Amino acid sequence: MVPLTLTSTQTRRGFFGFSRPLARLRARLQAWFEARLPLADSVTLTQRTVYILPTRPGLMLGATLLVMLVASINYQLNLGYLLTFLLAGSAVVAMHISHGTLRGLNLNLIAPDAVFTGATAIIGIKLNNTGRRTRYGVGLAVQGSGQWAWSDVPPLGSSTVQVAFTPPRRGAHRLPALTAETRFPLGTFRVWTVWRPAAHVLVYPAPESPAPTLPPGALQARGATSSVRQVSGEFDGVRAYQRGDPLKRIVWKKWAKSDQLVSRESSQAHGQTLWLDARETGLADPEKQLSRLCAWVLQAEQAELDYGLRLSGLEIAPARGDAHQKRCLQALARQ
Amino acid sequence: MALPTMRRWLAIPGQLPRDSRDTLFMLMVIFWVVLPQVAHLPVWCTVLSAGVLMWRGWLAWGARALPSRWWLLGLLVLTLGATWFSHKTLLGRDAGVTLIVVLLALKTLELRARRDAFVVFFLSFFVILSNFFFSQSLLTAAAMLVATLGLLTALVNAHMPVGKPRLRDAAKIAGWMALLGAPIMAVLFVLFPRMAPLWGVPADAMSGRSGLSATMQVGNIASLALDDSIAMRIRFEGAAPPQSSLYFRGPVLSTFDGRTWQPLRSGFPPRMQPAAELQVQGPVINYQVTLEPNNRPWLLMLDAALAPPQLAGLEATMTSELQWLTNRPIAELLRYRAQSYVDFRHGPVRATPGLQDYVDLPASFNPRTLQLAADLRRQFGNSTADNPQLVAAVLERLRSGGYTYTLEPGLFGQHSADEFWFDRREGFCEHIASSFVILMRALDIPARVVTGYQGGELNAVDGFFVVRQRDAHAWAEVWLADQGWVRVDPTSAVAPGRTGTLQRLQSPPGLIGGALLGTVNPAFALQMRAMWDAMNNGWNQWVLNYSEGKQLNLLSQLGFESPSWEDLIYVLASLLLMSSLAGAGWAVWQRQRHDPWLRLLSDAELRLTQMGIKLPPQCPPRQMAQQMEQQLGSTHPGLNAIREWLLQLEVLRYAPSIDRASANTRLATLQTDFKQLPWNL
Repeated sequence: MVPLTLTSTQTRRGFFGFSRPLARLRARLQAWFEARLPLADSVTLTQRTVYILPTRPGLMLGATLLVMLVASINYQLNLGYLLTFLLAGSAVVAMHISHGTLRGLNLNLIAPDAVFTGATAIIGIKLNNTGRRTRYGVGLAVQGSGQWAWSDVPPLGSSTVQVAFTPPRRGAHRLPALTAETRFPLGTFRVWTVWRPAAHVLVYPAPESPAPTLPPGALQARGATSSVRQVSGEFDGVRAYQRGDPLKRIVWKKWAKSDQLVSRESSQAHGQTLWLDARETGLADPEKQLSRLCAWVLQAEQAELDYGLRLSGLEIAPARGDAHQKRCLQALARQ
Repeated sequence: MALPTMRRWLAIPGQLPRDSRDTLFMLMVIFWVVLPQVAHLPVWCTVLSAGVLMWRGWLAWGARALPSRWWLLGLLVLTLGATWFSHKTLLGRDAGVTLIVVLLALKTLELRARRDAFVVFFLSFFVILSNFFFSQSLLTAAAMLVATLGLLTALVNAHMPVGKPRLRDAAKIAGWMALLGAPIMAVLFVLFPRMAPLWGVPADAMSGRSGLSATMQVGNIASLALDDSIAMRIRFEGAAPPQSSLYFRGPVLSTFDGRTWQPLRSGFPPRMQPAAELQVQGPVINYQVTLEPNNRPWLLMLDAALAPPQLAGLEATMTSELQWLTNRPIAELLRYRAQSYVDFRHGPVRATPGLQDYVDLPASFNPRTLQLAADLRRQFGNSTADNPQLVAAVLERLRSGGYTYTLEPGLFGQHSADEFWFDRREGFCEHIASSFVILMRALDIPARVVTGYQGGELNAVDGFFVVRQRDAHAWAEVWLADQGWVRVDPTSAVAPGRTGTLQRLQSPPGLIGGALLGTVNPAFALQMRAMWDAMNNGWNQWVLNYSEGKQLNLLSQLGFESPSWEDLIYVLASLLLMSSLAGAGWAVWQRQRHDPWLRLLSDAELRLTQMGIKLPPQCPPRQMAQQMEQQLGSTHPGLNAIREWLLQLEVLRYAPSIDRASANTRLATLQTDFKQLPWNL
């Protein structure tokens, strides 16, 4: 059973999508067109930025109306004229409603978190409606992806949609151009806008998998920079929960009995610190080096080791914790 | 029915999954669209469409899978075959309507992609239009308006992709669309040039509408006699003539082959055929006729009209049999003014050879009638001078011979006149007229059958005389020496009530009409009906009769001298231009109007930038103040005033509890303050 909902099941074939040279030309045109757009993380759509064209069903409706008009003329049906013109009038009104659905809509970017290479970044978009009417059926997608997230925006309110985007490589990437579209209310017109967000998404290297264990030679005796968690009165292996402890370390059985949150402490953690060095990976390809380092950073953090990072021209002193991990990963991403 | 049960039923659409609900709603609309034309469709088409729609409904109800394409293909082939069988063609109006209805029903079984759904919508629009082939009445218009709104609702609903929107919301939007589209519709309707059919209208264009026929077979007018639809409306300027004079002449049938009466097929050259030779006397009767389309070139005129009526775009001529014809079939409602004289004389005074056509009878038909004629001749004498007495004697026989008027005389055999005169002794006007003319011809008296309408009924509400299809009538004309053609209405001899008075045979009321009107006061029912007719007449006059003539009239009222259809295009184009200009103006105004707060903020941003302060994009007022302090130093003389103003601006937008009225006054204050701020220091 196929839903009657027309916008959700669409398989879009572009206007020029049928032949290869034209498709290439179209892609170049589109690139040129997109390059002209300003970069902004928040846009309010105006007459200038909202485009409208009839859809294939719109042209079909036009043809239907034409045939109905001819039938009315040939059979001299005044009521037929009335029907044809009523539908034509409604289609004109629908065109305005369609355009008004996007016009005046405010789009705000919720910048995505950093991701590992190959993973999908989720771009959140907050749609603000300052108008007094619901804006029905507003779809957002990464330009060219064809994967639409649909939403109704309530009057004087907002709604949030999320679109997915898989960055191709490691590094800082500008977010792809987004497009907002609506075919409401009759599907006879496609109203759309293209928006280039200014924000970037940082892409860490893909952690090598399976990754070799942490380099043992890099282990050093632990210095004075010990963990602040070494508070007296603990027996070995378990301690009171502290903010930031990973959920998997919590002894849930204990919590069920006593209502106290208790974390396991890794015995490995004591007295060890680690230097992760690009040269010690034993790999020639810089990208592979970064991948392995990335895997090691994650492993070390999981093992609650203090670890430092040495890259060419960069050294991050040993430490641990989310902020440190993030710093290391960012360094790997930007390398 | 108990209220809770009703509620439970009403709650069902809310409980169904969205797809099922949407599909069922759409099927209901399609049902509603097809229903009015069931009477005009072949039975198999109705049964097949209803079956398919119900099947589809059952599938939707249980969210079951759609049937495979082979089913559809099979049904389609079956449909094409059955259409060919019913209509002997796949083209033309009736076959087209049959096909499109079945295709619509079948297409609902194939809602696989977005395109399919659109095809269903557009086919439905077409089926709505096809309803108008059969009826353009006020009721049809209302029903089809509902259907159009239903389709628009389904279409809007289909474009609400999120969740399960309420149908009511979609209906509201569809209603608004239609309401706002109505002015466009009105303008186009009034100004779109009405033109003649672009190509020849197929012959079956009007077959759905009843009317007089060009030939007369026994039983042909029986169906008309029960048809209450309106044939024409007449407004007499001055007093209306008596009912007994209200004969509206249609085709005159003079050639008889034993079964069928047909217009004259003469072996004589035209100059030898009897001419019209119409002479009128007495007062002239001026009247206006609104003739429903009959797709025939027949103008129905009160007997007898001397001069052609005033017609726009049509030419009228009178035949030698006094019938008025136009140069093309009347395919739309036609209004004309005419003059008639109820007191007239026509036909040759002396016997001419051409009259021989009017005594011809086919051989080996009606032997007993021929015998009766011979007996009558023996009784009254053989000379032509005895003819008036013979006519009177035959009428007397009809009056007192036990003949009765009935709408259900049954089927007549080969010797229809014999059966009427001797066996059944009952029939309606066409049996009586036919038998009478056959007897006259057997008596060697020239005679012919005239068909048309007789009588009519005055609508007290709007003063129009309404002539209905059931007033269709057949009477006789006999030729008498010195008098010419003389009208003889044998039916009035059989049933004086059939003509001449307002009393008529009532057709049995429909089921609903009977239930509704049977219980109320008959006078009230009559009054209601008169109001309804007047409303319908208004509809006819203003909507259905809106023609090129009226369009041009409108233009000349607007000040065009000798308007043409090009002028209509000019007016349309200039209206289009004006509305686009208005739209552009509105867009500019909209941009101006923008949010006044945002405008104030951007003004401030501009001024600060002019002061040499670098501001990040999308900078809120508080940050502007901070940037100003950082970049110009805290000792800048204008700083405090501007910072205070910016913070006020921030409060206006972001403070939670400011009501609308005070917000507006504060905004006004900020706007005036803005001009006095020390921007230039």
